[in-house]
Amino acid sequence: MPDTVPQNGGYMVGAYVVAAVILISYALSLYLRTRRSLRA
Amino acid sequence: MRLLRAGRWITAIALLLLAGVYVRALVYTPVERLQGLAQKIYYLHVPAAIWAETAMIIVGIASIFYLFLKDPRLDRFAHASAEVGTVFAVLMLTTGPIWGKPIWGTWWSWDARLTLALFLFLLYVGYLLLRSAVADPASRARFAAVLGICGMVLVPFVHFSVYMFRTLHPMPIVLKPSEPSLPGSMLATLLFSVSVFTLLYVGFVTQRYALSYLREQLEATAGGGDSGMGHA
Repeated sequence: MPDTVPQNGGYMVGAYVVAAVILISYALSLYLRTRRSLRA
Repeated sequence: MRLLRAGRWITAIALLLLAGVYVRALVYTPVERLQGLAQKIYYLHVPAAIWAETAMIIVGIASIFYLFLKDPRLDRFAHASAEVGTVFAVLMLTTGPIWGKPIWGTWWSWDARLTLALFLFLLYVGYLLLRSAVADPASRARFAAVLGICGMVLVPFVHFSVYMFRTLHPMPIVLKPSEPSLPGSMLATLLFSVSVFTLLYVGFVTQRYALSYLREQLEATAGGGDSGMGHA
């Protein structure tokens, strides 16, 4: 068993940022598409 | 429109709770000794994978009922679930390789689980492309239902591929016949995340369903839908 914990926090940060971007972008896309349909 | 408002509220609450998942996972959940901080990607990757698979099962079930009942609400629901499932599949296919690089030493491996997961994503894309390519609503719904049922059949192969083939992908440590082999605090974080993703799925699908309904109403008032390809 290794004595030190692997230093790979950058990958974790990357994954959490990517996940937030994907989910918020989709939420925003739904909001904008419905707004456009409501205005039409 | 009540359904749209409800969907927006559910999504907003789910996104706020997602911030809570981030805080709990990053601050209050212990670091796994062998994998380090990269293990925490698990709290996003697994719920995304669960909902990428479940959404396709829901598409398949709604499609079966659609073929019998011809109720447009079922087709609308299947379409909404497929689009949201695609988003979760993208999440699964991006967070997985980001975890794989530090743990396996490679972003991608063409093993059974990863390849089948990619195939599931391509099926979602095919489903959405098929819908946008067929102009006649009845034919579109019928063709999409058949593809949706095919997608549902694929899901057990994706999930059980780690048992059926020799793969690089880890075996399930929660969704398995025996008890979850995950420490209590990590399991609590995972279950919290799965609950929030469930709420996200409900919020997204409700909004997407309302959007389809709105577009159908617009097409109906425009006199039979001359936009054709514009139908989402």
